[in-house]
Amino acid sequence: MALTGRTTGLRALALGAVLLGAGGPEAAQPSAVEIMARSHLAMFYPGEDMRARVTMRLVSRDGKERLRELTMARRDIQEGGEQRYFIYFHRPPDVRDMTFLVWKYPGRDDDRWLYVPAIKLVRRIAANDKRSSFAGSDFSYEDISGREPEEDTHKLVREERVGARTAWVVESTPKDAGSVDFSRKISWVDKATALPLKEEYYDRRGELARVFTAEEVREVQGFWTVTKRLMKNVQTGHSTEAVLADVRYNRKLAPDLFSERALRAPPAELVR
Amino acid sequence: MVRASPRAWSTALAVLTLLAAGGAGAAEELPLHGFLQAASAYRLIRPDRCPRTQRLACDESFVLGESRARLEVDPRGERWGVVAKGELILDAVGGEVEGDLREGYLDLTFPALDLRVGRQVITWGVGDLIFINDVFPKDWVAFISGLPLEYLKKGSDAVSATGHWAGTSLQLVLIPRFEADTLPEAGGRLAFHDPMAAIEARRTDEPSPALARTEAGARLFRNLLGWDVSLYAYRGFFHAPAGEVEPGPRLRLFFPRLDVYGASAQGAALGGVVSFEAGYYDSRSDRSGRDPAVDNPSVRLLAGYQREVVPDFTVGGQYSVQVMEDHDAYVATRGPGMPRRPAARHVLTARLTRLLLNQTLRLGVFALASPNEGDWYAGPEARYQVTDALSATVGLNVFGGPRRSEYGQFEGNSNLYAVVRYAF
Repeated sequence: MALTGRTTGLRALALGAVLLGAGGPEAAQPSAVEIMARSHLAMFYPGEDMRARVTMRLVSRDGKERLRELTMARRDIQEGGEQRYFIYFHRPPDVRDMTFLVWKYPGRDDDRWLYVPAIKLVRRIAANDKRSSFAGSDFSYEDISGREPEEDTHKLVREERVGARTAWVVESTPKDAGSVDFSRKISWVDKATALPLKEEYYDRRGELARVFTAEEVREVQGFWTVTKRLMKNVQTGHSTEAVLADVRYNRKLAPDLFSERALRAPPAELVR
Repeated sequence: MVRASPRAWSTALAVLTLLAAGGAGAAEELPLHGFLQAASAYRLIRPDRCPRTQRLACDESFVLGESRARLEVDPRGERWGVVAKGELILDAVGGEVEGDLREGYLDLTFPALDLRVGRQVITWGVGDLIFINDVFPKDWVAFISGLPLEYLKKGSDAVSATGHWAGTSLQLVLIPRFEADTLPEAGGRLAFHDPMAAIEARRTDEPSPALARTEAGARLFRNLLGWDVSLYAYRGFFHAPAGEVEPGPRLRLFFPRLDVYGASAQGAALGGVVSFEAGYYDSRSDRSGRDPAVDNPSVRLLAGYQREVVPDFTVGGQYSVQVMEDHDAYVATRGPGMPRRPAARHVLTARLTRLLLNQTLRLGVFALASPNEGDWYAGPEARYQVTDALSATVGLNVFGGPRRSEYGQFEGNSNLYAVVRYAF
């Protein structure tokens, strides 16, 4: 597998950050860019591949609940780079058996396909806006598959305790302000696992818009994983809680799984 | 009147068998799914002329008024799966109860081969409501009447085998039992242009289920430089009948031979999704173009573009053209004073879709028009997902244009429809 210079660079950064982190309290503080690169890999690239059963609970301001239940599989083509996602919907009934395939490329638009089982149709989905809501939830596509750290500038603000953990607080500002719906993001990145414990997104007027919190972090096969995630839109009062169950890493998922064949006939292991 | 078609019995049998099978292998969750649906469509425009064969279309205020119960079972194992979707339909307008096996097939999966046997929906091509290589049967009555779009596609009793090698796939389809398109017909509740309206005696000759009459299709496809590319070939029949007058007089409806060769490509470009499709319709019993009853061979092309302009707002458009071969020969078959179709039919379509309220409210409109033949269709629709299980849809189907044109003939069926569905 060919590694681009950029990916290698990202890896070196992450590796450097790990070494620095292991160097003890006297070690030099990693830069904000290093922290965010490490956090990106820890959150979106653990293992060579991953599968999980995800239950999303969408709650409106007046307490009305909707459920989305899906099986998600991911396979990395390049660490920190290209990835493929396969999603099978179990619930609600009107989308049951639908499958969704994403080929994610850093630096350009994803390829997305949706399979509509009622008419046996595989359809390409326009994917130029990664800030769109995923399945009506408060999570955007980027919240699920990751926003490239290179798209923002980062500033280490301070260190702070979040519950029992110590976190770096990093402020990120989009380089291309017109391309996103937020003007500023504050992340609390766990010093031990590099996972984001909390994120605040501010809208273009500078008002707090959405808040992400890692409600539960677990170690699965040696990989620290946020198994319960909450995204709250503080402006509309709508929130989404995503719970990851049956998380498995390094299952040697076949490349075949991320193809039109699997869209039309998802393998039994992903449908259960 | 209660009528139970052979399809009804096969449905009942399949559902019972699968219920028994599902019960035997009961999993932790109920393996039974489906929905209850009530649908109604009120005629907005009265047909302006009512030949005797279309009296019902003039008398009936509702083009649709029905309830449906759908049951689906789909047990599956590592290398096999069975899908059965049966419906019981209570047609309040026609006073009928009918059963329908929408789909019922067995899937077998081998390392490089997928086999599907039974009644199945097959969808080819990349057009949005413009079908070039998708030659499989369609229910235009359901579409015109305001039923959900999935009912436009009918199942085929077929064997389908798809082989996969190194990223390239080949699907072969054999359809031994011919299933025609469902079109407005004499005696039905939909108005349409009937050049032979004076002749009430009619018979339909369907291709007999002999081996030589088996429809065959092949689709070769792969991802090429980020584009989904397909090649298609089909040998079979037109799914809409041609008509010729026999002594009596009697109108004989039949399905002329048709071969189709085509290609399509779809990929991400220009910040959206770009689609191309082409097909050559080889009308085998009228290659000279001199048979007045049978369509001439034609070339059909389509280009489409779709883009998410802002989050949850998608805009799409298509241009399509259908060019008749041997137009001179066609013109020669038309008597003086008879209407003539132009050599090329141009069609433009637009689709806007807006999702609101966390994607629970979908506002959409699909519009189609032929700038040179002057006919058009517009279908605005609002669908609200009240809960995860319950949805409500209201919309309009409006047709217009010259009376003899493809969509203009349906003007008198223009309707306001409402559909409520409870899914489980």
